[in-house]
Amino acid sequence: MSRRTCLNAAGIAVVLAVICVLPFVVRPYQLDFLIFLFINVILVVSYRLIAITGEFSLAHAVIMGVGAYASALLASLPISPWISMPLGGVAAAVIAYILSFPLFRMKGFYFLIGSFAAAEAIRLCWVQFNDPFGGFRGLRGIPVLEIDLGDLLYLDLGAPVPYYFFAMIVGLIFLTVMYRIEHSRFGFVFHAVHHKDTLAQSVGVDVRRYRTIAFVTGGFFAGIAGAMLAHYVTAINPGLFGLKQMLFVLVWVLVGGLGHFAGPIIGVTVLSIIDESLRGLDELRPGFYGLVLIATMLFLPDGLVSLPRKVMQWLVWLRKRGEGALARRE
Amino acid sequence: MTDLELILQTVLNSLIASSFTAIFAVGLVLIFGIMQIVNFAHGALYMVGAYATWYLYAEVGLPFFASIVLATLLTMAIGLLMERALFRPMRGNLFGGLIVSVGMMFVLEVLVVYLFGQGLMKNMTPYFKESWHAFGIESVTISHSRLFVFAIAAFILVTFWLFMSRTRLGWAMRACAQNPEAAALQGIGIGKISMLAMAISAAMAGMGGAVMSPLVRITPQMGHPVLVTAFIVMIVGGMGSIEGALIAAVAYSFFHTFVTTYIGGEIATILGLALMLLVLIVKPTGIMGARESV
Amino acid sequence: MKSSITRRKFMAATGGVAAGLTALGATPSKVFAGEKTVKIGFLAALTGDAAGWGLPGLYGVEIWAEQINAAGGLEMGGEKYMVEIISYDDEFDAVKATVGAKKLLFEDEVSIVLMLGVTPVLAVKDFMTRNKMLTTTLVPTDISADAPYLFAPVEVHPFYNVTAVDYIARNMPHIKTAAIATQNDELGLSSLATYRAAFEVAGIEIIEENLFGFEVTDFAPVVSKLIAANPDVITWDTAYPDYVNLLTEQAFLQGYKGQFVNCTLDQYDHILSKTSVEFLEGFLWQFPDLDDPIMQGPDTHFDNAAAFYKTYAERYPGAWTAVSWEYAAALEMWRAAVAAAGTFDPPTVAEQLRTLSPVPHAFGDAEWWGEQFFGVNSAALGKWPVVQMQNGKAVIVEMGDVRAWCDQHLDVLKKHFVELGVPLAG
Repeated sequence: MSRRTCLNAAGIAVVLAVICVLPFVVRPYQLDFLIFLFINVILVVSYRLIAITGEFSLAHAVIMGVGAYASALLASLPISPWISMPLGGVAAAVIAYILSFPLFRMKGFYFLIGSFAAAEAIRLCWVQFNDPFGGFRGLRGIPVLEIDLGDLLYLDLGAPVPYYFFAMIVGLIFLTVMYRIEHSRFGFVFHAVHHKDTLAQSVGVDVRRYRTIAFVTGGFFAGIAGAMLAHYVTAINPGLFGLKQMLFVLVWVLVGGLGHFAGPIIGVTVLSIIDESLRGLDELRPGFYGLVLIATMLFLPDGLVSLPRKVMQWLVWLRKRGEGALARRE
Repeated sequence: MTDLELILQTVLNSLIASSFTAIFAVGLVLIFGIMQIVNFAHGALYMVGAYATWYLYAEVGLPFFASIVLATLLTMAIGLLMERALFRPMRGNLFGGLIVSVGMMFVLEVLVVYLFGQGLMKNMTPYFKESWHAFGIESVTISHSRLFVFAIAAFILVTFWLFMSRTRLGWAMRACAQNPEAAALQGIGIGKISMLAMAISAAMAGMGGAVMSPLVRITPQMGHPVLVTAFIVMIVGGMGSIEGALIAAVAYSFFHTFVTTYIGGEIATILGLALMLLVLIVKPTGIMGARESV
Repeated sequence: MKSSITRRKFMAATGGVAAGLTALGATPSKVFAGEKTVKIGFLAALTGDAAGWGLPGLYGVEIWAEQINAAGGLEMGGEKYMVEIISYDDEFDAVKATVGAKKLLFEDEVSIVLMLGVTPVLAVKDFMTRNKMLTTTLVPTDISADAPYLFAPVEVHPFYNVTAVDYIARNMPHIKTAAIATQNDELGLSSLATYRAAFEVAGIEIIEENLFGFEVTDFAPVVSKLIAANPDVITWDTAYPDYVNLLTEQAFLQGYKGQFVNCTLDQYDHILSKTSVEFLEGFLWQFPDLDDPIMQGPDTHFDNAAAFYKTYAERYPGAWTAVSWEYAAALEMWRAAVAAAGTFDPPTVAEQLRTLSPVPHAFGDAEWWGEQFFGVNSAALGKWPVVQMQNGKAVIVEMGDVRAWCDQHLDVLKKHFVELGVPLAG
């Protein structure tokens, strides 16, 4: 085991320990904040899975919504949320698969706008069709998760602390899965498809096929994230999955840093905390958020994840300059 | 009002809408062509132009035309600042450019909330209070404020076209839009061209906001719907193609206005999106675009 | 410019940054050292598109609190309490509202939560019920039988719109045809159903309808089509205040000469200066200025209405809208219930509020209503003014009886709601 891996392992252990202790020290509403953060972490990491193949989709928030709506509607049949949630993920993956046919005819900015238009069309369906989607008001009274083992154990996962651990465990499993996917043969092809599009094609890689695989897989995880949101908030509406939410996902990923697995996680965590801590500013809050975005993109083009390396570089540069100045004086 | 008169009225309404959509979309397309940056703050510049005009004219009491000129200069200055500080480091980086422009959009929107408060729209008494009865028909009317928008937009577009086709600088700009590396080899300074393009683009957005300010709701978010319309126009016309954007702006405005009048406003927007999707699927490079961008 | 730097903004700019950064989610608020305080939660949009429905309301409740505190505080059980307003920006977003509700309840321990309505309310409704928190909404279609602590104490939108149409039927017999344009959303559609019912009862035929989306920048086409139908009366229904402003101006520019009836006419000074006094003469709508003589009379229940209106107009010139006073009016009613209950305990106050009869509504005595419509009597329904433009000033011409109308024509009202597919209860 190299020193670097040791450091990484130690870092992850510390983070895990902190996460496990947190629910017992923070205040209730902050726990909610953390739960939504976990859900958003799944969302951004699944987004990165798509983005590393080189295309940026603006449909991800709506795909997440597909998972949320599907799971909520299935649960009202009623099907146990334990089954409807994975089915929500499947529904999201299926919709992603259908969308992939027209969308992967496009590239770059065309893909970006095309995915936006396709997603908006789905969202407008939720708004237009009161039955079964509930129109503008959306759906309400979505059942929460329960663990009911008769006399043995009963756990209401609608309460913050149990749901916190549920979201944490699900999040960790999914992160591991996505990490493994990225470091598998598939993952290497994903990267290849991004960096050397034509080269990959010329050695016989079906670029479009791999992009579709990434798009559908990412869609599945986003769908699960949506279902997790739906069964915790217990009310969803089309407004939750609009362009604003989508822009936030894009910003979290890019500010955090697309180049590294931890980048989007750092991005969503740091920016959410900044956003929440600026609440005292009321209507002026988005402005400071905007300044953070600009500053990060200008000074840390590889995202927040590159901050330690950047700081090291600055320190080395400063020391060298100091030495240089000394040398000249002598 | 007879059916024929309603058609005439709708044609006039469409023309006014076309003229404004065209100057807004052309500015957006210009920046994309030169710098490969999708400027999400373009709508915010339009908003700043409208706020500045409202403030100078309705609150400070400057003459209307002076307010328009000052508002345009202000947005131009903001545009140049954005080019130097934000877009230049991001040139060619589609998503980096997108993020900084989203950041700029937040900043500009909050700035006007800070200065002028949030609430209902800002109001100004229009400088032109009269209406024109088109061709002497009593029931077909267009307010002078709208005619003014049309006149200014037409003037800007003609000047811009003359500049692009008749001057050396205009040629250099076209060269840059077509192939930046080749242009650089020819000794064309891409930095200078970018600044010029940004100045023109921001001025178009700002002046659009200035002349539209008596007609629309002046709110911090007023740029959003206009930006979405411009994206549709940009896609349908072909990215980076100014001629395409012009044709698409006129076509889309006529389409949208007629559907709004005869069927309904909500349907018009849904059909607009559907139209864009169709263009993207059938001919992803737009009606005038030949090459694949990015 | 008249209002560039206000106290709030100054506080936000100086203290806000520091205060905001020190504690996660801390809201800078006045601290009353050594005095007893009662906290009121304000959970509505302060940023984004819906901010126009939240922020002016926050200004209103802050003025209301200042007036109470200046008079020594709120009286309960023989003691005086300072009122503190704690706001949380829900951005009109279900997730943010969920977090905000938890903060207001568990962190700040507020005694009542004021909300705007629709999606954020639906998201926190069950949570509020579980925690027995008294909550108010401005949209009565939010209330339902499974939410006993949720009230619509002020607005009975869109039902009160019937009063102006009823006034037309009795006083303007020449009006036979109507045209309607509004935005296609929850507010617009439920209001459309109500106007359809009101026109049907009044014997007025609707000859043109146009529903538009949110992204309209140019209203000329909408207005052209409406005027082409040559109606006797035009209504913008419950179009957003800014839309009413632009639509009315457009009708003026396109030479419309007939009558208007509408839900709101906010910022009418500006509309007057864009059009003319003659053009707006006779315009009918539903929201009076609070300095109207009738609002100072003994039949209404809003203390210091004129002073409130004056302070608001001075501090935020040109910003006066319906929501400016509605959240404060909900607090007025809450104050009456607290005085009667002798406690701030939310479920007790809620119970007390429910037993009030008559309900002291800002526009006069009301009763809890809604059983036949929403399945629960949680909306205060009684009188609602019909306001008319007379010589460039809003004048209450009549206090219409909404409840009597609704009880009499309930089936017509229900029929049109069902026809448009507008859900009856949250």
